[in-house]
Amino acid sequence: MAVQGEKRSNPLIAGAFFVALALIWEFSVRWFGVKAYLLPSLSDIGVAFWDARGLLLEHGLVTLGEVLSGFVAAAVLGVALAALIHVVPIARSTLYPMVIALQSIPKIGLAPLMVVWLGYGFGSKLVMAFLFAFFPIVIATLGGLAGVPANLEEHFRALGAGRWTMFRRLQVPAAMPNFMDGCKVAMPLAVIGAIVGEFVGSNNGLGNVILLATGSSQTALTFAALLAVTLLSLAMFYIVELVSKFIWWRAI
Amino acid sequence: MTEMAIRVDGLTKYYGGAGGTKALEDVDLGIGDCEFVSIIGPSGCGKSTLLRILAGLHGHDSGTATLFGEAVTAPRDDVGVVFQTSNLLPWLTVTRNLTLALEIRHGKAAAAAADVAAMIELLNLKGFEDKFPHELSGGMKHRVAIGQALMQNPRVLLMDEPFGALDALTRDRLNIELLRLWQRDRKTVVLITHSISEAVLLSDRVLVLSERPGRLIADIRIDLPRPRDPSTTRDLPAFGDHVVELSRIMGVV
Ligand SMILES: Nc1ncnc2c1ncn2[C@@H]1O[C@H](COP(=O)(O)OP(=O)(O)OP(=O)(O)O)[C@@H](O)[C@H]1O
Ligand SMILES: [Mg+2]
Repeated sequence: MAVQGEKRSNPLIAGAFFVALALIWEFSVRWFGVKAYLLPSLSDIGVAFWDARGLLLEHGLVTLGEVLSGFVAAAVLGVALAALIHVVPIARSTLYPMVIALQSIPKIGLAPLMVVWLGYGFGSKLVMAFLFAFFPIVIATLGGLAGVPANLEEHFRALGAGRWTMFRRLQVPAAMPNFMDGCKVAMPLAVIGAIVGEFVGSNNGLGNVILLATGSSQTALTFAALLAVTLLSLAMFYIVELVSKFIWWRAI
Repeated sequence: MTEMAIRVDGLTKYYGGAGGTKALEDVDLGIGDCEFVSIIGPSGCGKSTLLRILAGLHGHDSGTATLFGEAVTAPRDDVGVVFQTSNLLPWLTVTRNLTLALEIRHGKAAAAAADVAAMIELLNLKGFEDKFPHELSGGMKHRVAIGQALMQNPRVLLMDEPFGALDALTRDRLNIELLRLWQRDRKTVVLITHSISEAVLLSDRVLVLSERPGRLIADIRIDLPRPRDPSTTRDLPAFGDHVVELSRIMGVV
C-alpha cells in the first residue's frame, strides 16, 4: 500500500504509453507516405539496426574506448585539480578562476582545433570526451571537499591528524558521494564529447557512421547509429550508478 | 591530590579579537591528577570554549593554560576528547571507529593490536562490532565515541556534554558505565554537563561558571563516598544538599 502523498508510477500505464507512441510512429509514416530518407518507420530502423549490427559494434567499440579513456582521465585529473584547489590557497586564487573561465568556452568550438592539433584519430576524441566530462567532476568534488562537516574536521584536529591524514581519511571519503554525482553528470557528457569529436573529423566511431549515413541518405542507418549511441550512453550511466551504490554514506 | 593535571590562570578568551565576543574572563582553576571534575554553567557561558582551549584546539587572549606543567599549544597525545556530537565516521564500522583515534595517533599497527573485544564488552555493544553508525541508536553512538577516547588510554579525558541529547534513563546507564570505567582506570576527567544531579553524582568537585563572559563563581567539593551508584548515592542526604546548594548558585531555585 502506498501511503497518501507517496508517488508511485504504474509500469502498465508507462508501457502502454510507449507502445502507443511506437504504433503512431510506425503507422503514420506509412499512411502519410513520409519519405524514408526523411523519417523511416520504426520497423525499418529495427531492420537497419540488425543488418548493421557488425558495423555498429565495431564502431561502437571505438567510441566506447574514446568515452572511457576521456572519462577516466577527467575523473583522475578532476579529483587531483579539485584537491589542489581545496588544499593550496594559491591554487584557489589562480587555478579556480581559470577553471571557471575555461568552462565558459563552448567546448564544441574546440573540436576543430583538437583535430588540427591531434589529428583524425583517437587522441582528439579522447580530449573532447575529457573536456566535456572534466568540469562537472571538478565542481562536484570541490563542493564535496568544502562540505566536510566542521565537527568532524575538529575531531580530527583534536586527534592530532596532519593535513595528509585529514585529507585521506576524512575529506576524500566525505567528498565521495559528491564525486559520484559529478560522475553521473559527466558520463553522458563524455559520450557527447566523443561524438562531437567524431563529427568534426574522424575515420571511425559511431559519430562517423552517423555522418556517412546521413551523407548518403541512409536515414534508417542514421537512426540505428543514434540508437547505438543512446544504448552506449545508458549502459555507461548504469555502470556509474552501480559503482555509486558502494558509496552509500550520503547523509553525514 | 599530589600533582596538578590541569592549571588555568587568569584565562581570558575573545572571539573575533578584543572588542569581539568575550567568552571567558579571568578564569582560575586547578584540577588534580586523577580527579573527576564537572563544569556547569548557563548556556553560552564559555564551557565548550574552555574545553577547546584545554584540548589545544583554540588559542586564548591572556592568562595561561597548562597540562602537567606544560603550556597547551596543540592537541596532545595523552588527552582524549569527547565532543557533544558523537563525531563517528559514517563509512567505518563500530570496530574501526573505536580504533580510529589510536590509528591516527599511533598508526595501523597500534590499532590492530588494540583489545577491541574488551572495549565492546565494556560498552555493552556486543553484536554491533561490524555495524555502521547509522545502524546504532543515539546512545550507542555516544558510547562508541566515549569508547574511542578511552581506547587511547589518555591521562586526561575531556568530555563536552557527552550525554547531552539523551533521555534520563539512557543517561543514567551511561553514567553508571562511566563511573565504573573511572573507578577502574582513574583518569583525570573534566566533564561539562547541564545536569546538576549528574555533576554531583559523578564528581569529586563541581565548578560553576557565570553567565557570559564565563568566570568561575563556585568550586564545590562533593564528599560523597565512593564507589558511587546512581540508585543508592542519590538517596544520601548529602546528595540532596549538594544539589540544592548548586541549584541556588545557578539561580535555579
Ligand atoms: N567559533 C566561535 N566564533 C564566535 N563566537 C563563538 C564561537 N564559539 C563560541 N562563541 C561564543 O562564545 C560564547 C561561549 O560559547 P561556548 O560554546 O563556549 O558556550 P557553552 O558554555 O559551551 O554553551 P552551551 O552550554 O550552550 O554549549 C557564546 O556566546 C558564543 O556565542
Ligand atoms: Mg557547549
